[in-house]
Order: sequence, then structure tokens, then C-alpha cells
Amino acid sequence: MQPDSATFERVLTRALGAADYADAFYERRIVRSFRFQEGCVHDAGIRLTTGVGVRVISGERSGYAYSDDPSERALLETARVAALIARDPAARAGAVHLPAFPDSPPPFYLAAEPGRLRAESATYADLLARADVAARAFDPRIRTVNVFATDELQDVTIATSDGRFVRDRRPLVTFGVQCVAQGTERGTGFAGDGRRSSIDFFLERTPEAIALEAARIACVNCDAIETPAGEFEVVVGAGSGGVLLHEAVGHGLEGDFNQHGTSLYSGRIGERVASDLVTIYDDGDLPGERGSVTVDDEGTPGQHKTLVERGVLRGYMHDRHSAAAMGGVSTGSGRRQSYRVMPQPRMCNTFMPDGESTYDEIVGSVKRGIFAGSFAGGQVEISKGDFVFMLAEGYLIEDGKLTAPLRGASLIGNGPEVMNRVTMVGNDGRFAGRYYTCGKGGQYVPVGVGMPTVKLSSVTVGGSGVA
Amino acid sequence: MPDRGLDEQLELARTVVGFALEGGADAAEATYTVGDRFSTEARAAQIEKLEQSTARNVTLRVFRGGAKASLVTSDLSAESLRDFARETVEAARFVAGDAYAGLPEPAGDAPPGDELGLYADDVRARPAEDKLADALALERVARAVDSRIVNSSGSRVSDETVALALVNSHGFAGAYRTSQANIGTGPIAEAGGAKYAASYGSASRAYASLESVERVALTAAKRAVGLIGARKPPTMRCPVIFERDVASLVLGDLFAAVSAANVATGNSFLADKVGERIGSALATIVDDGRRPGGLGTSPFDAEGVATRRTVVFERGVLRTFLYDSYYGRRLGAASTGNAAGGGIGPNNFYLEPGPDSLQALIAATPRGVLILDTIGFSTESVTGTYSRGARGYLIEGGEVAHALDEFTIAGSLPEMLAGIDRVASDLVFDQPIVGPSFRVAEMTVSGT
Repeated sequence: MQPDSATFERVLTRALGAADYADAFYERRIVRSFRFQEGCVHDAGIRLTTGVGVRVISGERSGYAYSDDPSERALLETARVAALIARDPAARAGAVHLPAFPDSPPPFYLAAEPGRLRAESATYADLLARADVAARAFDPRIRTVNVFATDELQDVTIATSDGRFVRDRRPLVTFGVQCVAQGTERGTGFAGDGRRSSIDFFLERTPEAIALEAARIACVNCDAIETPAGEFEVVVGAGSGGVLLHEAVGHGLEGDFNQHGTSLYSGRIGERVASDLVTIYDDGDLPGERGSVTVDDEGTPGQHKTLVERGVLRGYMHDRHSAAAMGGVSTGSGRRQSYRVMPQPRMCNTFMPDGESTYDEIVGSVKRGIFAGSFAGGQVEISKGDFVFMLAEGYLIEDGKLTAPLRGASLIGNGPEVMNRVTMVGNDGRFAGRYYTCGKGGQYVPVGVGMPTVKLSSVTVGGSGVA
Repeated sequence: MPDRGLDEQLELARTVVGFALEGGADAAEATYTVGDRFSTEARAAQIEKLEQSTARNVTLRVFRGGAKASLVTSDLSAESLRDFARETVEAARFVAGDAYAGLPEPAGDAPPGDELGLYADDVRARPAEDKLADALALERVARAVDSRIVNSSGSRVSDETVALALVNSHGFAGAYRTSQANIGTGPIAEAGGAKYAASYGSASRAYASLESVERVALTAAKRAVGLIGARKPPTMRCPVIFERDVASLVLGDLFAAVSAANVATGNSFLADKVGERIGSALATIVDDGRRPGGLGTSPFDAEGVATRRTVVFERGVLRTFLYDSYYGRRLGAASTGNAAGGGIGPNNFYLEPGPDSLQALIAATPRGVLILDTIGFSTESVTGTYSRGARGYLIEGGEVAHALDEFTIAGSLPEMLAGIDRVASDLVFDQPIVGPSFRVAEMTVSGT
């Protein structure tokens, strides 16, 4: 049972003491997962995560404690421990008042019913089998097909010492297919998709379509040659190329790093950090997208943020703590993996709007370079700003045409340096059609990325082929 | 000596197994884990974070007609446990029957863990004030090393004690306690308008056996200052030395390829290679679940099978994969005690150390690179392809010439194993997968 308004009031009153702020986060999340391998459903799993976290903020200091037991007795003790960080935890500043019932703003995602989630195991088993059949039928070289699906429903209630009391119900479905093909060499391919939606999403984005994409990439990669090493012109493909924005720019604009001055973007609002072709948004309010939040994990509405506008740095992404420390307001970016950890400023859906070039113009302009079609993921070191992104499907470009497929490799660059080398932006922007999960400080949250086709005039490509 | 807490945990795990059997399971296995966690973070002269909680989790695996399903839950009310145990049995209806699925064969009493050095009293006994003081000292000492260290990503002290109870319907019941303490710091040096962040830490079963606060802070600070002025190397083929923290990451990549789950499902480049020479004669790689004090040590694995010492590569020859009971039955081998969280995981998986210091490896390298850390990841245990972003030093004439960053190293895991031509003696068991520093004769470095 989740705590009611009066319980939250008593817990927050104890937590707040004489500190600046306190909040409580109740969560009940059920994730069902299915794994299909070697032609049958191999595994089914249920994960139930439920409990309450209490946070106390006093200036730059924050204290945190949580309880798996939602009883008032346990929560009062949790509040006491969370308040130990405050300078004088026994001081009293007055009682916290909340509305009788939580606010429930209209969600950016379809309503999902827990009862329905429970009934859908048979449907998932069928979807998994369809993907397996489609992948194997694609090409006789396909040897291994692994498919998995997860269906998640998270209910949260957030109560804060300044009187915010809000709840949200967040669905999330994901579906992934991994194939191994055996030609002269082995090739692997992965494709997946997901949304904040119900299982009905896979009526339009079919398991067959996802499976064919994975099988196609695996077969392409059977014939892949060694990716060359050295600096090259690189064309980054539309969609999952958005990983570039997430790593090269996005992380460095998260409020906690800038509050502490540890990011290379710290103190640079208003400065040029990219070529004037570059505009970057982070949106928490796109209906159904994987990174969207009706409210973030501090109860602030998800919103549209301009991070970079025509090459100029416009703003950071804040949770309440980093916003307060920097004299700003939360941008609805406070997210957390679960009630067992404090929220952090995080990205939602990060993307670049369309430019004016066509895909053909961009690829056609490259004499010898790399086409980086899609990415398995990326990583960044915040302070110097060096980042990598890992090629999942790539090709050589020779005389303006895609030629040989390339073996997987990392590409490395420095955030502002690479973003200043954006010399063409396509008119074919889209979201990745692949799901990404972002890790930061050991916490994993679902995010979205998107981008049109983009040309970078020079990037270090980490293959093993030396000319 | 009876341990009331563990007895209560065993009792609840028994109850959960009972719920699964009542719900129609043929066999079941449950764990109940209680973890007491403390962590604090300092920045400059202030404690900025203090977190303290107890995490409780129950896991359940059920088997019905050869089909299996699993549950992880933090809701420990009897009603919820009964309902979800039933739902888990229900979920197994959608899973195909498999002749190999099931609990491990009964093997008598749970093996004792007393001599394994799993638990140190000082983790709970150390006063919180001392832990906060350590976090502040890490900040102070690191910043005092060099005037160019002007910031940090924080200094952390954290610890955890865990009590685990495991029960299955074949009569197994076992329980043990572990402890772990961690300290670490992330100083940032600034020079020429750029920020150079580094980090270093120490982890152990006991506070008493951690590296000292001074040494951790000094090592981290030297790393940060050492990166000042880093630039890209030329693109070249050359020897690559992996410093021990990065060596551990490479062994982590290799672990995926020796996991029997990946071997059996066509996801390992090592499938069908048992008995073949893959690595150089210096590549002896072991999984040892019984190494006293190791952070991967335990008396029994996640399904109650006694841990053991398994030589995976012996002087470069692949001897065996690592199994749980399911993949052991499938591939005709005994479990090596590597069941973990529903899959296969490491105990203490490590490369045997060699005779030299890291300094000797550097001195023996006319021209090459020393890698201090890598960024990026891949899941290419299927093909063994390896490519990572890196930071480190250029070595010229057997000496460190200057710092390097924004470059990559690439090759393949089998080539890297075969290319190991020097191994250092600096192995520390500070995480489940570890390696000493080692050198690979030749890889591709991509820079300018």
C-alpha cells in the first residue's frame, strides 16, 4: 500500500527539519520479461520493485535513505536517517502541508492497465516466435536468433516539502532481436525498438520488421572488412546518429556537472560550442517517446529545452538541486533508476532538427570516408570532453558512394571540436527506431535520440586496418 | 555459532519455496538478501552526500515440466510473496520445456565459508565520523599534490554488508555474510583551458586492508596531473601495455567468451576451441571462487553449488568454459560453480601475474603506448572484435614520453591473448574480474 497524504506530510515534516527542502518518492514497478532462443521461449521473468526514498537538501548537501517497507513507522525512521546530513537535524521549521490527493496530470503516453499487462504473456510469446521465424527466413546464413521483450509499468507518487503532490503511471515496452550469421566470417546484427506505450505498439512496428533489420545487418557484417584507422571524413546516419549529440554535447550540459564546474561546458552559456549548422533540443514531452516523462522523478513536468541554437550554447538541463545551486529552475530533467537512489539531471529525448542538405548530397560530397550508419552506443568523459561512439553498421565511402561494409569499431572525438566540424546537415531527421538506455553514476534510465544525416569533416576512426 | 538474522532469512526463503510448490511448481529455489549500505561523498572541504539504507530482495526460480521462470521482488509482505510466487509459476506456462532445466543435483550440506575471509567486523564497527573524515581527507590530500588540481568529481567512501540465504526444494539450505569497503577519489587538473579528470580507488572486504587514504589520493592526483598536455598519437601498429585497471576490463570482455551460456547459444568466438592454443604461454587465466578475501569469493554460487578453482586457460591453451548446472548438463560438463543472477558470472576471474613491475614493462618497450583507461564497450564476444577509446602515455626508448588522449586501440581478443608477451606482478583482487598489467606485442593505435 502506498502512503497517503497525511503520512507523507508527517514523513516530510520530520525529514525537513530546518533544511531547505525534502521530498519523498514512492514507486511500484512491475517488469515482465521474456527471452526467446533456439526456437522457443527460454525464460520468463518478473521483477517487482517497490519502496519509498526520502531526500533532504541543505545547501549543497543532500542526505538520502529509503525503505522497502512503506509503513509509517519505517518511513519516519527513513526520514530521520535522510536528515542526518542537515546541519542541525533536530531543528524544526514547521509542518509540511500537502493536498489531500495527488495531482495526476494528463500523461504523454497511452494509459496502460496493470491487469492487462498480466494477461499478455501469450501475446508476447507469439511476438517473439514471429521475430524468430522472420529472421531465420531472411537468409540461410542466419545461425543464431535471440529475441527478447520486456513490458513495464511504473507507478510513482512524489511529495515535496513545498507542497507538490503528484502521481504518474508510466508504461514502457521494448523488443530486441540479435542475430548471428555465418558466411566466410561471422557477422552480428542487432535491432530493437520500444516506446512508452502498450504492447499494441508492436502492431505497427512489427516483430518481423525488427527481425529483418537485425538479420540484414548480421548478413552485411559477414562480408565486413577491417575498419581503417586514422582521421577520416565521416557521414553519420540519420536516427541512431543522435548518440553523437547525447555523448558529445548532452552529458556535458547536465546541471550537476556544471553546478560543480567539472564539465568542459561549464560557464560557457552564450559561447559558440558547435558550427552554426548545429541546433540541439532535449524534449521530455514528446508523446510516447522512450525518454518522455509526464513529470520527472521530482514531479516537474517534462518539457522542451533548447541546448544549442545555431552553434551557441543556450542552457543546461537541471533537476531541482542543480537548479537551486545555480539560481535557475528545474527543466524537468530530474530522473532516477529507482527509489533506491537519488535523482540526477538526465537527458530525455535528445535530437537535432533538420538542415537543408539531402542524404545524396552529403554522401556524394565525400571522396574517401566512412559512413557510420548506426551505433551500438557511446560514452563520454565529462571534463576533457572526449567521447566515443560504437559503430554497429558502417561502410566505406569511395567517390561519393557506399562500398564495403566495415567491422565494428569505436570512433573518438572531443565534443566541441567535433561539433565544430559539422559541415552539412540533412533534411531527413528521425528518431533512432532503436532503444537506448543511458547509464550515469550507476543509474540506468530509458532515453531517446534522433538526428538527420550529418557530415563531420574529420573524426578519428578506431579500426585495426592501417594503410 | 547460531546467527539469528541468517536463520530468519533462511526461514523466509523456505516459505517462498513453499509458496511456489503450492502454486504448482515441481521444484523451486529462493534467496533472501539483506544489504546494509552506507555511502558518503565529499567535495572540497564539505560532505555533500550521505546515504544509508537497508536493501532487501527476494529472488525465486521455479521449474514446472522442464520450463523455468524467475522473480525478483522488494515487496516482502507474505501476501505479495504468495501472489507473485504463483504468478511466476503461471509465467512458466509460456516457456518451452527443456530437458536440461532444473535445480543442481543435491550435494549434501552447504559448504562452510568460515575460512574464506568474506566478512570483516570493521565495516560495521567503523564509526560514521571516521568514514566522513576519510572522504574529506581524500579531497584534501589530492588537492594538495599540485596547484593545478583545482576541482574534483568528488571523493567517496562507501561500504556494504550483505547477508544471503539460499534454499531449494531439493533440501539445500545455506547462508553467509559478506562485507565490502570502498574508497576513491576523482581529482581534476586544469591547465591551458582544459580539464583533465582522473580517478583511483581501493576496494576490499575490510577497511583495514584498503590502501591508505594518502596513497589513493596521491595516485589519483598524479594521474590527473600526468594527463596535462595530452595529445593524439600518430596512427601506428605498436606494442600496447594495459595498466592493471584496464587489464581488468579486457579480462571482463574475455569472460563473456568463456561463459558456457554464450558458447552454447552461438555467441562466443571460443566455441569448439577447447584444447586449442589461443593465447601465448603467459596467458594462464583462472576462475577461483575460494580465494580468501577475494571480492568474487563465496562458499557456494547462486544455485548452491560449491565454488572451486578452475583453470580456464593454461599457458595459452583453452581448458574449459565456465558453467552453471544448466549449461553443464547441456554441454556434458559439471558446473564450475559460476551460477550468478540467473546466468553465468565470475568468481575471482584473473590472469596469473608475472615476475616484472609495470616499470619493467615500460623499460622493455622501445616505442609503444601505455593505456591508463578506456571508454566505450561492445558485445562482440561473438567475433572477438576489440576497439576502445583510450587515454595513456606514449613510450619512447623505454620511458614515458608524454600523455596521450583522444585515440583508440583496436585488434581482436584472440590476437590480444596470443600477443601477451609480458605480464607484471601487480595483481590486486579488488573486484571479481582482475588482471595484472600486461603487454600485447602489437595492436593498432589510431590517432592522427
